[in-house]
Amino acid sequence: MEIPYTVTARPDTGLWNAKIGIWLFLASEVMLFGGLFSSYIFLRLGADYPWPVHVLNVPMGFINTLVLIASSVTVVMSWASLKMGKWGACKLYLFITILCACTFLVIKFFEYKDKFHHYGVVMKDGTVLEGHLKDSQYLIKFDSITSLSVKADGHYPEFDPTFVFNHCTTPNPQLKTPAGTIITLDDKGLALLRAEVRKTAKDKADAVAKSTGQPAEIAPPLLPLTLTAVTPLSFAVNSTALPITQPLFGYTPTTLSFKDNTTVEGKLVDDKMTMHVDNIDVRSVPDIEHSVAWKYLPKWKEAFEEHRKERTELFHKEHPTKDPMKEEEFLRRGLVMALHSPTPEAGHHESEGVGELFDSFKATFGGGVHEYPEVEIDAKDIERWSNFLPKYNTFFAIYFTLTGLHGLHVLAGILVLGYMLVIDTRKFRNDPEHMANRIETGGLFWHFVDLIWIFLFPLLYLL
Amino acid sequence: MSESPADIQKHVKTYLKIGAGLIFMTVVTVYLSFVDFGSHSNNMLIGMAVATFKSAMVALVFMHLNHERPLIYKILVFATVFVTVMFVLFTFVHDDGLHMPGFEAQQGAHF
Repeated sequence: MEIPYTVTARPDTGLWNAKIGIWLFLASEVMLFGGLFSSYIFLRLGADYPWPVHVLNVPMGFINTLVLIASSVTVVMSWASLKMGKWGACKLYLFITILCACTFLVIKFFEYKDKFHHYGVVMKDGTVLEGHLKDSQYLIKFDSITSLSVKADGHYPEFDPTFVFNHCTTPNPQLKTPAGTIITLDDKGLALLRAEVRKTAKDKADAVAKSTGQPAEIAPPLLPLTLTAVTPLSFAVNSTALPITQPLFGYTPTTLSFKDNTTVEGKLVDDKMTMHVDNIDVRSVPDIEHSVAWKYLPKWKEAFEEHRKERTELFHKEHPTKDPMKEEEFLRRGLVMALHSPTPEAGHHESEGVGELFDSFKATFGGGVHEYPEVEIDAKDIERWSNFLPKYNTFFAIYFTLTGLHGLHVLAGILVLGYMLVIDTRKFRNDPEHMANRIETGGLFWHFVDLIWIFLFPLLYLL
Repeated sequence: MSESPADIQKHVKTYLKIGAGLIFMTVVTVYLSFVDFGSHSNNMLIGMAVATFKSAMVALVFMHLNHERPLIYKILVFATVFVTVMFVLFTFVHDDGLHMPGFEAQQGAHF
């Protein structure tokens, strides 16, 4: 069946059908993004922490904005070219549009990746230290481990010893089972241990089934099986911020609990987090003089006070009128300090206003690698820590929601425009009017995606 | 739209001008966000004003909303009204004072 009104206007609406279709769709999109923008306002007004400003990579967001604007121009040029009968130019412009869309997503990928590797550590006193983990890991180290209690109950029928022993730093550990067998944990030993644990689990289940008269499948959970280390073992577990990859339930000074229900008994030797700090934020600290930041970065206290003093003086110079509201806001900004060097003497500098903008471009494209002070943070000082994911704070939650949904729209644009350029190509010559209308429809969607970004960029990156 | 190639040729120039204007205004937005306008709300206002102007350019010129059939405006009026109501509701919910410290104490005083 021929689809009606693809080129000519329908008498009652005065429009060809696809056009009214795309505008109805865009109207629903306006409401969808409107809802998300209003949640942004809500989260921002209600945030119980200082809302992050200029924490995203401004140069990258800026380039992405240019890329999207350029693609908006090329898509409308593609439509105009076809209207003027220039098929070649039309295809070329369409191709450039898709290329821009792909560039946008690639840049976005690098931005996301950067956030996944950037951490924020909120201390017990409210101090926030930001930076990168040394070697991208946070190791919890245990030694003098003599006993491991493993479970192979109904929930974990496929007991896998590698889940736990991957973290063992003692080469070829030797374990003694309750039956007295000594197993060396090489590749063969792992299979042996798995078989042993499963056999013991089955024997126990059978025994319970026999005594209660119930079938073995619904027998109660099994008791743990204790393995003894022949020589004391050492463990180093990488505790990650992502729940999916986090191998631990938790630990105490004497026990280490794994997510497969294995509990290890030993002695905690090190749970310090080694971090390269690039930002100190003491805005939520009641007693800034004694912030825990100075315990770890004593050399930076003086630089920080200097920085704070400069900000205060700048404020009084530029705003001679006494306005307590403005003063408070401004002075709070002096409580955050970015670090660019390992020590304050090694070329630390403050940039303010537009200078900060130039520095951010230099840092992104200058190729220079910053070095940061390395600190070892005591676990007892840490309130919570995470990489910059939605769970870190509501800013990153709404950032990932809005840009993620927008990114999906960019992907949809690539598919729609790509279909016209690559798959349904005969129409360029056979039915240029219909094709022009198709490109206009796809173009309207694409302009809308650009329009959303025009608001997202200042809201998330700049203001 | 039934426009002659000559009309389209004229549009093309407008598209390129608007594109250049949008890029210029992006530079301006980034620059202004690093300038201190006294308070952050002022920066907010200025930033959003520029963004609104930019998106109006995209909608009017690139999306041809400067000369469209009445039906499309009707559809968009609906969407705009709903979004505005949503924005206003969210802002008022925040300003109802329920989250203010001491709210419970004030309530208690009435009973």
